[in-house]
Amino acid sequence: MVKNIPAGLRIFTWAFVALVLIFVLAPLIVVAGVSVSESQFIAFPPTGFSLRWFAAIFESDSYVRALLTSLKLAVLVTVGATVVGAGAAIAIHRGRLPGMGLLAGLFLSPLILPSIIFAIGLLMLWSATVGPVSFWALWIGHMVIALPYVIRTTLAVLSESDPFLEEAARTMGAARWQRIVYVVLPQCAPGLAAGAFFAFNISFDEAVVALFLRTPDLVTLPIQIYNQLEFSPDPVVAAVSTLMMGMTVLLIAIIDRFLGIQRFVGT
Amino acid sequence: MRDRFEDLTLAGPGLLLIALAFLLPLFEMFRLSIVGPGGGFTAEHFVRFLTDPYYLGVVWRTISLSLLITAICAIVGFPLAYVMSRVGPRLRLWLIVLIILPLMTSVVVRTFGWMVLLGRGGLVPFTLWKMGFVGRNFTLMHTEAAIVIGMVQVLLPFTTLSILGVVMKIDRRLEEASRTMGASFLATLRTVVLPLAMPGIVAGSLLAFTLSVSSFITPSLLGGVRLPVVAGSIYDAATKTLEWNFAAAQSVILLVGVLVVLVPYMKLSGRRNG
Repeated sequence: MVKNIPAGLRIFTWAFVALVLIFVLAPLIVVAGVSVSESQFIAFPPTGFSLRWFAAIFESDSYVRALLTSLKLAVLVTVGATVVGAGAAIAIHRGRLPGMGLLAGLFLSPLILPSIIFAIGLLMLWSATVGPVSFWALWIGHMVIALPYVIRTTLAVLSESDPFLEEAARTMGAARWQRIVYVVLPQCAPGLAAGAFFAFNISFDEAVVALFLRTPDLVTLPIQIYNQLEFSPDPVVAAVSTLMMGMTVLLIAIIDRFLGIQRFVGT
Repeated sequence: MRDRFEDLTLAGPGLLLIALAFLLPLFEMFRLSIVGPGGGFTAEHFVRFLTDPYYLGVVWRTISLSLLITAICAIVGFPLAYVMSRVGPRLRLWLIVLIILPLMTSVVVRTFGWMVLLGRGGLVPFTLWKMGFVGRNFTLMHTEAAIVIGMVQVLLPFTTLSILGVVMKIDRRLEEASRTMGASFLATLRTVVLPLAMPGIVAGSLLAFTLSVSSFITPSLLGGVRLPVVAGSIYDAATKTLEWNFAAAQSVILLVGVLVVLVPYMKLSGRRNG
């Protein structure tokens, strides 16, 4: 435990940590609580126990459609961002292209530049050149946001890889594509896997780009929730939200297996 | 040369994506912000925003709330990160997971949780009422307090993890040396750990501030229509009143404001990594 904290302060320390954890977890716990409540009103603490709101999700056309849209989008974003991100990360890691440091910064900039600024630009550009926004506009928007995560996790793994393995493959006569496929990509694998699950989570949970690019036919799950919250929240919203949280817990566990969550944090 | 060509092939799709789907939209936003109704250059959208007391009020609310939110995140985040850095590895893993879980949960879901907690009859107003702090059952929804509470919850994990990354790298022998020389724990924390953690605290705060000034889902749901923020005003102009040039001008102003804060952030975090 924390040995260097004096005994008298220790109790305050733990009380502080407990309070902060309760604070950051409170909205999540409340949503989960509401979702299993029997009451047809939003109620916390929950009264009774019932899973009927979860069943109600699948009886509602709008939720099922939003769920399918979100899943399809997240899967396609994951595939796209992982493939594109792998190439970019390998090129950044090798650093043989001129100005690659600058390009690396450019690749990672969607991480820190607020997505509302880019979302509105994308909406305007798409409308001016392509026409009304569609599923593919949303896909491209989410790709830009997910890409930095794949690049970052892959770079983290590559930075610890052995640079001489590729050299050895070259000496043994491996062609360029063979070195990439048999030597470099297997080394990237844990980072790519972690990045892929990040990409899925981000695309599935993202609300800002999806809100700007929504049309009556193009509604993702977070936007369906947002619409419902603006209109009138009911326990079904809580059930959908709980479903999404369950997905997040699962993804964190998977990312931790592949990369170690601590390494992603950078500690 | 062939090596470069190979790397260019690898990075190509990504570069194309960033150029067409990230840089070009930003460029389009700039273009629209200075185009007048009949075409040609105009500054009227900027003038309209910067001279209207209503919009200046929106800007002021956004900045002052963001400063408060950022300050709370830093003040709570530093001790939390310190404790996290000094516990055993197993407990630290659990604490990190508990901090990352809300971070990776959709902002919409978290805001919904606060709507339940802060609304009329919600747990927070109800408890305050029962404990006698307030005279009657009331709602915290559609107040600036609700925005601050919701936004701190959204941004605290960011700040904490950013500080944690720096505190973890502080040589513990420095603390021991300070203690051996007779400094108390709190004095050591203040004079040794805090200054060394400063780059992390500043970087985390700069990031929290930029995310705070540009967020609108949490402020619009918790603050309601009477307490608009800049990002909400952009959203309304772009999707409700369909004044795209005006929305673009506001976005450019927001972007410039964000970049002013982000440049020192990148210098700080770049030095840390390099």
